[in-house]
Amino acid sequence: MAIYSFWIFDKHCNCIFDREWTLISNSASGTINSKQTEETAKLLYGMIYSLRSVTQKLSKDDTANDVRSISIGKYRIHTYCTASGLWFVLLSDYKQPSYSHVLRYIHSHIYVKYVTHNILSPYDFAENENETRGQGFRKISNRNFISAVEAFLGPMIAQ
Amino acid sequence: MSAPAQSKSLKAIGEDTWKNKTEKVNAELFTLTYGAIVSQLCADYDRDFQKVNNHLFSMGYNIGVRLVEDFLARTALPRCENMVKTSEMISKCAFKIFLNMTPQVTNWSSEKDAFSLMLDENPLSDFVELPMDAMKQLWYSNVLSGVLKGALEMVQLDCDVWFVSDILKGDPQTELRIKLNKVLKDEVPIGED
Repeated sequence: MAIYSFWIFDKHCNCIFDREWTLISNSASGTINSKQTEETAKLLYGMIYSLRSVTQKLSKDDTANDVRSISIGKYRIHTYCTASGLWFVLLSDYKQPSYSHVLRYIHSHIYVKYVTHNILSPYDFAENENETRGQGFRKISNRNFISAVEAFLGPMIAQ
Repeated sequence: MSAPAQSKSLKAIGEDTWKNKTEKVNAELFTLTYGAIVSQLCADYDRDFQKVNNHLFSMGYNIGVRLVEDFLARTALPRCENMVKTSEMISKCAFKIFLNMTPQVTNWSSEKDAFSLMLDENPLSDFVELPMDAMKQLWYSNVLSGVLKGALEMVQLDCDVWFVSDILKGDPQTELRIKLNKVLKDEVPIGED
């Protein structure tokens, strides 16, 4: 299994964290919260958003029907959406069918610990109306959060 | 799944999370800490209890907006489709996990958009006796209404939450009322609508 990139979107349709690895030989390579990946983030969000609305319409009853993974020619997208509107998204190769436990771990043990329980970090990354609906630019820049994500996902990059 | 089976599993989720995934602290320490906060607020606001109520509410709100993420991380529960489900999640999961109590859900409005929680064993108000001047106006556990308001807002439920009665004020029971104003719409990216 190899992972290519990791993204977090908030309920304001903004990408609040992104991490892309470029060399599988080096877990420190690539970009964090880069301006260059802004367009990719928007496209990724749009694709998941559209598929989610399709699946919700195709659902037979009221119970939640959510997208878990999307497989495309060369890679697989794994999503984990919380009731509070956060999306955790991971791009990987085909070797492992599900990463939902990995994403759930990141939410419950890394995001909650270093962002939600950190009173100095905002709980909402849009500060006003102009930063909602996908127009925001704020990212999680918290050092502890970033190093915990690195330490957790690093070993999976080239396995 | 039928309705009773679902409610049973919510109960099981609540109990399991409480037993296995929650660190415990001494309840008395918690009660006394809360008491210290309230009494400090009463002193700070010169016993203007209306202001104390409002301040407790806003403190609760700020707790609730963060606590909900913790709750969802522990349980991984999806959104509720109606208020009946919401009420069960609050009483059987949320109150169980954070305060180890299961308040009774009663007094449903005819449209099923408002209900009451009966807090028989409210740990916030153990050992508390309000002084005469506070009895009329102070809602001692008002932080709870703020927490619920903030937490529900984060899952797109715009609600009003308030205390109807309190044992501390001489009422027969402690009743917390929750009324749904509206279900907030999820945002869509610009250009999608």
